Amino acid sequence: MSALQTTTVGSFPKPPYLQKARNAYARGDIPVEELEKSEITATKEVIALQEKLGIDVLVDGEMYRGDMATYFAENLGGFTISGLVRSYGNRYYRKPIVVGPVEFKKPITVERWEFAQSLTKKPMKAILTGPYTMMDWSFNEYYGKREDTAMALAEVLHLEVKALYDAGARHIQVDEPALSVRPEEVGLAQKTLAVVTDGIDAKFYVHVCYGDFQKIYPRILDLPCHHLDLELANSRYELFEQFKEHPFTKELGLGVLDVHTHVVETTEQVKERILRALEYLPPEQIMVDPDCGLKTRTWEEAKAKLEAMVEAVRQVKKEKHLT
Amino acid sequence: MEFEPLTTTVVGDYPKIPNRPRQAKHRLAMARFEKGEITFEELQTVENEVTIEVMQEQAEAGVDIITDGQIGWEDAQTYIAAKLDGFEITGLIRYFDSNCYYRRPSAVARVAWKKPITVQDYRFAHDNSDRPVKPVITGPYTLAKLSVHPAYERFEDFVLDLADALNHEMLALQQERPILIQVNEPAITRYKENAEIFAEAMNRLMRGVKNPSALYTYFGDVVGLENMLKKSPFQVIGLDMVGGKANSEIIKSDAWDKKLALGLMDARNTKMENWDKIFEQLAPVFRTITKDRIMINPSCGLEFLPREIAFSKLAHMVNEVKKHRN
Repeated sequence: MSALQTTTVGSFPKPPYLQKARNAYARGDIPVEELEKSEITATKEVIALQEKLGIDVLVDGEMYRGDMATYFAENLGGFTISGLVRSYGNRYYRKPIVVGPVEFKKPITVERWEFAQSLTKKPMKAILTGPYTMMDWSFNEYYGKREDTAMALAEVLHLEVKALYDAGARHIQVDEPALSVRPEEVGLAQKTLAVVTDGIDAKFYVHVCYGDFQKIYPRILDLPCHHLDLELANSRYELFEQFKEHPFTKELGLGVLDVHTHVVETTEQVKERILRALEYLPPEQIMVDPDCGLKTRTWEEAKAKLEAMVEAVRQVKKEKHLT
Repeated sequence: MEFEPLTTTVVGDYPKIPNRPRQAKHRLAMARFEKGEITFEELQTVENEVTIEVMQEQAEAGVDIITDGQIGWEDAQTYIAAKLDGFEITGLIRYFDSNCYYRRPSAVARVAWKKPITVQDYRFAHDNSDRPVKPVITGPYTLAKLSVHPAYERFEDFVLDLADALNHEMLALQQERPILIQVNEPAITRYKENAEIFAEAMNRLMRGVKNPSALYTYFGDVVGLENMLKKSPFQVIGLDMVGGKANSEIIKSDAWDKKLALGLMDARNTKMENWDKIFEQLAPVFRTITKDRIMINPSCGLEFLPREIAFSKLAHMVNEVKKHRN
């Protein structure tokens, strides 16, 4: 891989017209076709923005997804949606409930991925929420054990990954933000990811966020993936110290933008974060990205943050003579 | 403190917003406040209305001792820490093993109590409820454990300073003479090796407190901490019977001369309890601990559940418990 490639984690802010359309659709004021039109317009904008910024591996911005767990739950058999539950501050999500055996009905994200990839020559990441997180973020009224739920979900999500691969996706990201929460279950997450990725020859990215990485490092290096994306801007890079004792063996997704603050990072701040990482890892082993999805920011904030990120990468590469 | 046998209560927070068709008043007001469209006073007016609503819901469910639902609390740490001296509030971090986050407080200077944090809230709740209301605070140990403390070299010093600071809050609450003052300390179930410093923190927290008080533990069991808890300066000890299955063993001994508040309703899953089965398992306990020394409540705060499900599970709990009062 070339040095210091850039990507983003998945979600982009929904433009106000799409927000409006989603609300109108939820109220039953507009048909689904009209909502989809707005989603397509927004997806095109998200991709155009990334192209313009010169980001290397693109995402579709998840304009058609609400919550990352709920979206998949709504498209799988065995789930129902309970109601709104607060995740922090003033943010809520409609938490799914497993009420029966989970089942794969038909590909969930394939058409969306194909459409997004058709808009760019750059690689388009396919992104899905991992089985461990789907289990951890759902209520369970059906399976006996957490492990049973997670393994059943892994089988089902493997079919989605296979369908994505068959459609041409070669960069596949599995989001496992719940992974850092219960150190004793890293083994379970590893087992379920092995099922999800089994026999698929794509580059797998795993995204983890907002937890105590110290507790699961270096065990997360055993996860079956090529790229581990860690939120670091928010946790102040304490993890790097551990790289000294246990070398980081994957490609690192280096989160350099705090997605939960309105404050836009300066190029200098981002540069400093990248340079700090370069003390521990060679540039070919680092991909630079935001800490997490950008959907909680405004469009302008997201754009400004990404501009700072891309400019910082450009300057570091120039100063270090990297290509 | 005379309660009826198997008094029902709750642990702390209550979901702030209902689902459609009811209006998510609080969420809307927060969003408008964040955008600068309404003032803090206007936000508080909404919070007061919602507080009354959620107290009415708890009463409708039949709960004997209710809380104000902690409607104004962004999370269990920030609400307290932000009003103490010495803290800054920093980035988001996961709350225990849940899928919720809180903003981690950071003690950048010595922590100290400035003025009452929860007293006004308690007065408002008390004045607007027919049922007895208990004020609830997050205890010094949990607050310390979920914070960082750059201003302190030793964790122990930080905990004890926090205990001293919150002792002022306890004394201020005591002036109001509530039916019970509750201290929530979930973190101790996860760090039992800290039992000694925890005990000292509780003693400092409770210095001069004569009002009946409860210590609630949850998200795990307290096996190994029984002696410390028995000696602690509280009249009620809360035990999580769902998240801490091993607690069922330690309540079989009759050496508890305190009241036990048993968290038997799973506040982290939507599945309805089978109370016949629960009471079957409790039968041996009733032979050693009389029903007037047992309280029954959810396993933790109710905000992990959607509002309507929290209410149904609560109402179901109260109905079933009532059948077993005699």
